[in-house]
Amino acid sequence: MNHIEKILREEAKRLFEEKKIDMLIGFEQGTLPLTATPLFITKSEDVERLVWNPACSVNLSKYLHGILHWHRESQTRLKPEQRKKKVIGIVANGCTTRSIIVHQQENQYSKDDILIVGVPCIGVIDIKKVQKRVGDEEIIDGSFKDEKIIVKTSKRTEELPLEEFLSDSCVTCICKNPVISDVTVGEPVEQASDNNNEFLTVEEFLKKSHDERWEYFKKQVEKCIRCYACRNACPLCYCKDCFIEQTKPKWVGTTDDISDTMLFHITRAFHTAGRCVDCGACALACPVGVDIRRFLKKLNKDCLELFHHRAGMDLEKKSPLSTYDTNDPQNFITEP
Amino acid sequence: MVKEEIQKKDNHNWEPKIVAFLCNWCSYAGADLAGISRLQYPPNIRVVRVPCSGRIDPIYIVKALQKGADGVLVSGCHPGDCHYLTGNYSARRKFALLKNYLEFLGIEPERVTFSWVSASEGEKFQKLIKEVVKGVKAIGPAKKLVKIESQRFEETIGGSS
Repeated sequence: MNHIEKILREEAKRLFEEKKIDMLIGFEQGTLPLTATPLFITKSEDVERLVWNPACSVNLSKYLHGILHWHRESQTRLKPEQRKKKVIGIVANGCTTRSIIVHQQENQYSKDDILIVGVPCIGVIDIKKVQKRVGDEEIIDGSFKDEKIIVKTSKRTEELPLEEFLSDSCVTCICKNPVISDVTVGEPVEQASDNNNEFLTVEEFLKKSHDERWEYFKKQVEKCIRCYACRNACPLCYCKDCFIEQTKPKWVGTTDDISDTMLFHITRAFHTAGRCVDCGACALACPVGVDIRRFLKKLNKDCLELFHHRAGMDLEKKSPLSTYDTNDPQNFITEP
Repeated sequence: MVKEEIQKKDNHNWEPKIVAFLCNWCSYAGADLAGISRLQYPPNIRVVRVPCSGRIDPIYIVKALQKGADGVLVSGCHPGDCHYLTGNYSARRKFALLKNYLEFLGIEPERVTFSWVSASEGEKFQKLIKEVVKGVKAIGPAKKLVKIESQRFEETIGGSS
């Protein structure tokens, strides 16, 4: 058990005892080594199950939104005096707090509905990268020590440096500490305020010709099996009726034609424009390894360059597509 | 698009089909004025009248390309002249992102055009259509995002309703 975990459990216990929260969303040890699964606890006895390590890769704000929404729905049929207010606690690192800010900007829930237990983050691992390194051998056990991953396979035990196996989004992360929090656990970690390599993938991609870019996009989309795991993992994809499932009109056909899958990817990416916090949840959830982040990054880059907006950094600022400026750039407009 | 239609695209006398989303208050009236003034422009556009350029969801544009349009034109009131005051300001942000994004993915920039045409600019409308058709003709028929269907679109959704 590491230092942060210990304080986290103590804090969680205190919050339950002081009746500040009704539920806490955190992580517990997953059933497979080097994994962590979301944990929902309502009693102080369960706090011992909480963990915090680089395997905690899911963006928990997705669940926060779901639970608060579900609770609100359950209260609508009650008389006002019978309605219960619930406060949901959430263990959140940098990108999770940014997603929470985006939710609040979009009026999904208010500040009083949640209690953020902010934890510093040194990055999360991409288990696919670890598996690739050990090859065919099955990972039997794994743990984290300082900035090392200790992997035990059927044949050997190996110590791997954490930074080589970080999720791609963590490599260029500029927000390791929580942006907002009610309770802070542990000391803030050092972070770069601006990462020059942040949009490197986009800039490199733009150097290619149109046809080469299209070929790459097509190759990536061809892998997609349309399981919609990216949508289900994304904290921003909370629409009750997603355009994928709409039938009147039916935007996305239910065929295996590649253009339908392309339409899905283009539109989903566009729906996250100016809102995506680049937590990498979509890319980690993808079972076939579609390069989703590269296509989302372009929209992030444009929002930053054209509208000077970085999603989820400031609670007071409006999302770029819900506001406007009369002096917005319009060099793309054709003037015959 | 059905297969036969796509094969027709390779024909040497191919004419592009361009979907034009025109805002009711300015560009549609501008197109009207061009007609009344007997200003000739290429007959390649198919006009869809929308209440405001802000009404256009980017998915309409992508869907039009998927359904086989060789080009998409979106036109609305000049910034500041919107009938709904700010519709085209919001639209401008969306379109700025979409235009860059489609180009980033590898769709030719000539496929999707945005412009502002007011109700009194019949002549500008004529010029715009000429320019758009010229641009699309230069890059040839759209094939990148086009879906090949066994049935016509109208049949799959059950008529125009």
